[in-house]
Amino acid sequence: MEIPYTVSARPDTGLYNAKVGIWLFLASEVMLFGGLFSSYVFLRIGADFSWPFHELNVLPGFINTMVLIASSVTVVAAWAALKARRYGWFQINMIITIACSLAFMGIKSYEYYGKFMHYSVILKDGTILDGHPAHASEEHAGDKITLTEVREITLAPAWSTLNFLNNRRVAEGSRPFASVPEGQHVKVRLPSTGAETELTKEWFKEIKKQYWELRNARSELATLTARLEAPRIRAEELRKTGEGENKVEVDYRRVESLLKDYAEGKKENNNKIAELAQKVKSLETAHPDVVGDTLTLQVVGNPLVFLVGEKNLQTYSPTQIVFRDTTILNGKMTGDAIPFNIDAIDLRKVKKPEESMAWKYFPQLKGNYEKHREEKTAEYIKKHPDHAGNYVEVGDWQHEVLRIPLHEMLSEEDAHAYLHDEAHTVQINRADRQFYSNFSPSRSPYYAIYFLMTGLHGLHVIGGAIVLTYFLVTGRRMYRTNPEHLANRVEVGGLFWHFVDLVWIFLFPVFYLM
Amino acid sequence: MEPSPDKSHGHDSGHDAHPPVDLAKSVRTYLKVGGTLILFTGITWAVALVDFGSHAANYAIGLSIATFKVSLVGLIFMHLNHERPLIYKVLLFTVIFAAAMMFLTVLSYLDPIKARFGF
Repeated sequence: MEIPYTVSARPDTGLYNAKVGIWLFLASEVMLFGGLFSSYVFLRIGADFSWPFHELNVLPGFINTMVLIASSVTVVAAWAALKARRYGWFQINMIITIACSLAFMGIKSYEYYGKFMHYSVILKDGTILDGHPAHASEEHAGDKITLTEVREITLAPAWSTLNFLNNRRVAEGSRPFASVPEGQHVKVRLPSTGAETELTKEWFKEIKKQYWELRNARSELATLTARLEAPRIRAEELRKTGEGENKVEVDYRRVESLLKDYAEGKKENNNKIAELAQKVKSLETAHPDVVGDTLTLQVVGNPLVFLVGEKNLQTYSPTQIVFRDTTILNGKMTGDAIPFNIDAIDLRKVKKPEESMAWKYFPQLKGNYEKHREEKTAEYIKKHPDHAGNYVEVGDWQHEVLRIPLHEMLSEEDAHAYLHDEAHTVQINRADRQFYSNFSPSRSPYYAIYFLMTGLHGLHVIGGAIVLTYFLVTGRRMYRTNPEHLANRVEVGGLFWHFVDLVWIFLFPVFYLM
Repeated sequence: MEPSPDKSHGHDSGHDAHPPVDLAKSVRTYLKVGGTLILFTGITWAVALVDFGSHAANYAIGLSIATFKVSLVGLIFMHLNHERPLIYKVLLFTVIFAAAMMFLTVLSYLDPIKARFGF
């Protein structure tokens, strides 16, 4: 079937169809990004934290803006070349456009990588330390906790999985954190019989089966009992309405009929109740391990070692960790410090910056901070004399003085050493930290919407580049038979490409400059 | 043989909004517009470093420049300076709805919960 109006204009619209289509699509895209920009504004004006501004490196964003503008020029030039029937020029411009899209994504990836490798620890008093976890051994892999001396494991047959075993580590030579060799199982003792068993998926599947069998039998018994008791309870309630101050006339015939129902029901179901009770009892005797909702197992042989990422945990204490699936391990927590090198200190959320927890870890920097604060404040007051009395409350002063990239108060060389040298690595006590994350969407609403919007924009760049590449690669045949159709295709692809550029023109100042 | 340049889709034919293309002239225009856009990107960066008294003033200036740049892209690169009425109608609706959506943010200021509990 021939698709109509790919080249000539449809009489009623005055346009070829694809053009109407792309503009309708772009209209919906405007709404999509409009909604996101609106969310950005909403998040920003409602933020209960110091909105990070001037935190992104502007240069990569600036270069990317130029790259996209250049590609917008070349894509429209490619279309013009087709209109003028200059296929060579079309190819050259298209190749530049696609190269620009690759450059854009390359620079964007470089920026994303930098963010994912950059970490931030928020301490209990609100102090924020930016930097990255030191390149240390595995047991210090930043957000992981080491639990040794594990002799007891508590499983909840209803919820637990045995996935926690993936976090188990064994000693291998001098390294206590090697992965467990395949086929090596944990041996445990069951509380009921003292029998030993291996923690395997098959074994746990059987336990779960027994647990649910018992639980279902119990619930069947409970449901039936409740159903049989219901008329008696209702009769009791009715009778009570005839007593006390606000008594009403009681329909005793109804009470009697309810009690009769109750007696009959009980008589009829007596056998069934006894049967179910017997079933429950025999199941309980047969599978004593699943009588309760949890099953506590003693480890046979050497105690176990676990290395667990915080994301897998529900809670933890110095002697216990609870996984999200409610599995509990009892042991001794050892590697809970976060080895960290810093590149900035942010004191904006601290009540008394001079008493910040930062100085517990970096006492030697306190003097530099005080000097920095004095100098920057003098500078600020000189610039804004009207704020001389209340500068402490002004967001700009806080941003300039209380958020301190180390290179602002140290020499470049020293700041570099703080970020990279082992001598400057501090062990941040996990009990001191409130939040620990890299600069990923979980860091703050700012980074959440930054990644959302730039990520979605990046997907548009990739999508556009794929379409334009298709036109470049397959265009020659269409150019020979119907060059105007190819020109229209490129125009439509180009319109989308300009839209992608247009979104970036707003994204750049909003995220990088404001 | 190369296909001949497109002469049949000018205004007169009533089939397309674009006049016949003079490649060199078009490319010169596009390059000029591209240069202007890059220049104004630099200006956006420069003015972001200047303190205009308040953040609001800085946003207003930054976003005005961005809007100017977007208009250039729309008018020249996307040919909105000579397009068929249908497209303008579609865009008119888009602008109205997008503005309404932005206005929803403003409405959050009138949130009764906020007014009652003062946050």
